[in-house]
Amino acid sequence: MACLLKSTISKSDCRPFWVVVLLLGISAENTQAKTVLAVPQHVSLSANYPTQQLSISWFGGKATIFEIIILRTEFNETVFYDTVSAVVNQDGGQHQWTWTSVEPLECTSLSVKICSREGNARSEWSEPQILEGRDIPSNSDAQMYPHSKVVSVGSNTTFCCIVAEGMELKKIYYGGTLMNVTRLSRRSYATTAVNQTASRPSGTNVFCLPHGRNVISGAVIFVGYPPRPRKLSCETQDLISAVCHWDEGPDTNLQGNRTTRYSINNRYCPQKSCGTPQWDGSWTLVAVNPLGQYTLTDSAELDHRVCPVEPVNLTAVVQIFNVTVDWKWKYDYSNHELVCQVELVSSNTTLRNFSGKGLHSVVLLDLHFDEEYRVKVRCGSQKHFWKWGSWSKAVTFKTKPYVPDSPDVWLWVNRDSGQIIWKPLTRWQSRGQIKGYQVTFWSPGENEPSVKFLSAGNNFLSVNLTRWASFSGDNKLNATVTVKAVGGVSRPSNVPLRLTGEEPSALEKTVYTSSGFPLSWQHNGNSTCSYLVEWCDAFCMHDCPVDWIRLDAGKTNVSIQSANFQPGVRYNFSLYSCPSDFPVLMRRWIGYMQELVPSSSVNLETTQQDCDVVLTWDEIPLANRRGFLQGYNVYISNGSQLILLANLNIGTRTYTVKGLSGSTHKFTVKAYTSAGEDTGGTAAISMKECGDGLILEILASLGMVTLLLVTAAYFCYKKRGWVKKAFYPDIPEPKLPGDWSRTRGPLDLKPAPHSMVNIIEKPERDLIKDALIAIAEEEEIDAGDGIGDEPVDTDEPQSLRYYNQVVDERPIRPRFPDSSVSSSSSVDSANTDVTYTGIQTSCSSLVFPSDSQSPSEVFQPHHSLPVSSGDRGGGYQPQMHPVASASSEPLEEPQALSSGGYKPQSSWLLDSPREADEKMSPTHSLGSPTSVSSSQFLLPDGEEHKEERQASSSAAAWFTNLLTSAKP
Amino acid sequence: MAEQEEQPLTRSEAPVPGSTQTGRAVALARLLQRECSQLLQLYKERETFLLDHAPDGGRMVSLSTESEEPSAEEQVQLLHSALRQCLGLLHCLIKKEEEEWGKLEQEYETLKMHVKTRLERLLYTTRDLVGNEDGTLEVTPDHQCNEEVDGPFGLKMWTYNVLLELIHWADHAEKTLHVLHTEKGGTEEI
Repeated sequence: MACLLKSTISKSDCRPFWVVVLLLGISAENTQAKTVLAVPQHVSLSANYPTQQLSISWFGGKATIFEIIILRTEFNETVFYDTVSAVVNQDGGQHQWTWTSVEPLECTSLSVKICSREGNARSEWSEPQILEGRDIPSNSDAQMYPHSKVVSVGSNTTFCCIVAEGMELKKIYYGGTLMNVTRLSRRSYATTAVNQTASRPSGTNVFCLPHGRNVISGAVIFVGYPPRPRKLSCETQDLISAVCHWDEGPDTNLQGNRTTRYSINNRYCPQKSCGTPQWDGSWTLVAVNPLGQYTLTDSAELDHRVCPVEPVNLTAVVQIFNVTVDWKWKYDYSNHELVCQVELVSSNTTLRNFSGKGLHSVVLLDLHFDEEYRVKVRCGSQKHFWKWGSWSKAVTFKTKPYVPDSPDVWLWVNRDSGQIIWKPLTRWQSRGQIKGYQVTFWSPGENEPSVKFLSAGNNFLSVNLTRWASFSGDNKLNATVTVKAVGGVSRPSNVPLRLTGEEPSALEKTVYTSSGFPLSWQHNGNSTCSYLVEWCDAFCMHDCPVDWIRLDAGKTNVSIQSANFQPGVRYNFSLYSCPSDFPVLMRRWIGYMQELVPSSSVNLETTQQDCDVVLTWDEIPLANRRGFLQGYNVYISNGSQLILLANLNIGTRTYTVKGLSGSTHKFTVKAYTSAGEDTGGTAAISMKECGDGLILEILASLGMVTLLLVTAAYFCYKKRGWVKKAFYPDIPEPKLPGDWSRTRGPLDLKPAPHSMVNIIEKPERDLIKDALIAIAEEEEIDAGDGIGDEPVDTDEPQSLRYYNQVVDERPIRPRFPDSSVSSSSSVDSANTDVTYTGIQTSCSSLVFPSDSQSPSEVFQPHHSLPVSSGDRGGGYQPQMHPVASASSEPLEEPQALSSGGYKPQSSWLLDSPREADEKMSPTHSLGSPTSVSSSQFLLPDGEEHKEERQASSSAAAWFTNLLTSAKP
Repeated sequence: MAEQEEQPLTRSEAPVPGSTQTGRAVALARLLQRECSQLLQLYKERETFLLDHAPDGGRMVSLSTESEEPSAEEQVQLLHSALRQCLGLLHCLIKKEEEEWGKLEQEYETLKMHVKTRLERLLYTTRDLVGNEDGTLEVTPDHQCNEEVDGPFGLKMWTYNVLLELIHWADHAEKTLHVLHTEKGGTEEI
């Protein structure tokens, strides 16, 4: 900068200045380096072999940063090199730094060098300091390091093997595992075990084998856990000192020299419990092993932690059935409230608690008589109970026998037999071992009572009530039972009985509930007697397990419960009044604790009656019902499944299945209770033919009808003259005035387009002209539409054609028939089906002129005339209308005759063209033959059918002749 | 395994004179030898590295005899002395193992106690065979138990050597007692 300032003055004058500045700078720099960064002096090494730590100390002037390098001396390999900040000892200015080696420090020699550093500058390296390993030539033996290290599970450990001088390493094993090896020096080899697992109590062996000789060098490593004790608690037994207990917690896997050491309040505890002479009030447990330590604390007041010692010198003083138990205490508890537990063991074990200050004696009451007991005692603090003390040693004693109680006796009657039965005495009631029972029973008429002796274990005696009652005039009987036991004979228990012979009242059902069988009854207000309810298995015959309960007077209900009740078993309950004084049976019930399905099925039988099958079955025996039967279900089997036919009530045991056809049928009847159906009784039946009777009936009916018809025909034949006179009187020949030039022709009618046409009689007759009225069942009006438009030859029903000859007194006027219509109509007629509801006409109307047929008159039946028409020869046949035609086809007379048909005459007189038009209307041109009056003839209509008349007359003549010839 | 063998004899059993006594001593030594072998087998099953180790053959227990050709009785007396040292070694082994490892496997510990009892009984037997009335033959362990073992691994190696020593002297006892038994007119087969 000075140079810059002066540059304006003179450039040549600046050179000496720059040289001076440069020299001063170099001089200053060299001066600073030489004075601050001193080489570390007095480097010393201190090895901690168990921890594998190397402590390095040196004097390094004022520098605070140093570089340290650690080398394996033999191979000059760098183990560590880094810049460190060392701690300075303020007193002496000594620096110190500690390095932890991965390998044991014994493995090989290490060289340490240090230099000071500040910024980029550093001092010279110090002289190397060497920590000698155990692999130096002067130590020629084989070795392994570390010797006996203790590490935590999961850690890593590096071992080194120093082979003997002159040997070469062959293998290193960790337990049974061959390890990878790293050479550290000429004789030293290292290996590392990673993630080590817990070792055995004797540790895991690590050893190396050299080549050539089986000389082993090795070490043992112990892998475990630090201590984790728990549940420290301190208590007192003598009310002065404290005893502490704890749980060791998980196993540390370390034993022997490495086992966990415990101390309580700094007092060493050789065992798992430890005491203090005074009650400290708070305690600290310290657990230590090579892997760490753990601390637990506890604190409490003395009164809250009293655990009495075990009672000693127990004695038992026996009265008859009471015992006094005494004991002594090791310590003075006289001022301490104690609660003591006494365990009594005989056939069962009971515990009784007693309490008191300084308790040392208890009285045990209500023991069994003549019973051996074992008793022991333990105690605790009643106030602030902490825990029970230890049990005392047990002592044994035996109570004395005594007179037994009287038994509860009852007389169970089952028809003519009975049982004197008594409830077994409890241990308390027997008061000693029972030797036997004495049963005495008598009746007033008997001179000497009967006495029976029964051994212990019996609780009933069967008696013959019939024989017994024969001695008694009033049917009163008595029995007593006494118990003989070790302690004496009981007072007798008396049971009176009156044999009335009366059947009990009707059984009632009782339904079991969770509290038992509920029974209730009315109380007789005047009675002061108590009650007794007795129950037993309803179907038990011998040695029945009868039970009973006695009830106080005035009681009106009870629920009977017993552990002996079984599902599906029917129980009888009997209520007796005055059980102590000739009891009277009041009511009876039956019930099931749980209903089941019947255990057996009905026996099913089948019988065929015509086309019906009658099913019958028997009742299921009571013992097999296992519940209250509710009814029967009747099924028929349909292959694999049953189809319900009927559900019958319990009173029905027959059922008729109707209308079955042939083949085999299988039926099943199942009885059911509230629990469901039983398996069912099954029967099959093969049906015989059942239709013969019906056929016979039909044939018989037909025969009867035939007989009647034959009789009628015979009668008619015999009386045909009368019949003819009555029904077909002779009709005079019509006298035709004038010209019969009118042509006759068919009356073509077009019926309604329906297949069915009813031709009915027109009730009101047109006086001017008769008409056959055809009325279609439906759509009469529509039926007349378009008749003239109908095609000539169709398959559908066509027009109706009648040869109605209307006799009109009026002159017959010539008509002008439409030949084409006539022709077509004649064809259509062949397809006409006509239903004639009746023909009622006089014989005279059927008489035709007998003049011969004109050559011009021809019958021309339609070729397609239905055969049925001809076949109905016996029946009514519509007339075949002659058709005036120029056809050259020959007349087929036989066919016309064969029709044999009756030809109602048709005679139409059309007064006006309008009428002529109307003839096409079905309403006016159709008429029923029955509507034809006997005074009128059915003649062809109009003149255009003149020639047809001849043919009609010929047919009428034939019919007349027939009737005439039939005259007798 | 140990339970299947003969139970340890009690010290109160009265000595049996003559060849019967020597025969019993031979049988006892034979039983001791067998049990020591079983104990070593158990030990090697636990410390498997010993399978690769060949013992150096040196003796831990040595005898010093004054006569060049001792008699059978003298040999038994020497044997008695060696067995006392063996008992001392066994006592020391039990102590050191207890300190170092605590309780080890039950079978190993049980068999170790059987060997100890059997060895004590053999000492009583040899004393009864060749001892004087003045009680010059002791039956107490003769070992100071002051060996320095080099860590746990060194203890294992030392234990191995002790077990080998026990087997050696049990075998030697059987042979020596058999010679005495033969001299006293006992049968060859025992």
